Amino acid sequence: MIGNMIMGAIDVSGIRLSHFQGMLIFAVVISVAFGFLSRRRPADRIRYIVWSLFLFLVIGIGIGWAMYPFSR
Amino acid sequence: MTFENSSEQSVNEVVGDDSGSGVGGATVAGAELGGATGAGGVADVTQAQESPRGRETKALAIAVAGWLVPGLGHALLRMWARAVACFLTVGVLVVLGAGMRGNIFSSAGGDAFDTLGYVADLGSGGFYFVARSIEKLGADVSHANGDYGTRFLATAGILNLLAALHAFEAARGHKA
Repeated sequence: MIGNMIMGAIDVSGIRLSHFQGMLIFAVVISVAFGFLSRRRPADRIRYIVWSLFLFLVIGIGIGWAMYPFSR
Repeated sequence: MTFENSSEQSVNEVVGDDSGSGVGGATVAGAELGGATGAGGVADVTQAQESPRGRETKALAIAVAGWLVPGLGHALLRMWARAVACFLTVGVLVVLGAGMRGNIFSSAGGDAFDTLGYVADLGSGGFYFVARSIEKLGADVSHANGDYGTRFLATAGILNLLAALHAFEAARGHKA
């Protein structure tokens, strides 16, 4: 029932994301959640979120490039 | 002098936190301030009268509430920013995961991985049923999108369990 309400308001069926978009959204959401849970002061939270997001993206893209030779 | 510095630091931490006079936050704040001032002091008196068993029961109830509705545990502790953050992050992951037609595991799983997936998905509490009602066409993991959706849904569940555990620890009076 709640799902029907959400579906009525926003059509979310069949969302298509590229690999990078998927990774970016995942990194942003996890960084925000960890930042809010693990830090108390707003400045600390922002610093943690930015740093965590940066590491997510750098390591994710790095692993992607490292796997490139084995992709075919 | 040292006492003044440490008190000031504690006040800054309390002001910086999203909590007002929540159960866990206030206890920590009260302890750091010596339980002498503000809402922390009042909460300390209340908590001192509360038996350890009562506090544990309350903490458990807060954890269960936080599991059933993401962010509710922190909201009960008046940690508003954390409550909103938990609700939104878990909600975004669930809606995206179901929208991308990720696999929502059920209790009728055939192997250990299905069972683990079910436990992870169930971690999102009430949002598990939201995901099921959003995803009417069923899972489609033949494409990368569906596979990502499966990960999003499982991550939402684990994240919510982590948040509920965090609320539990905060309600017990541990620094969180």
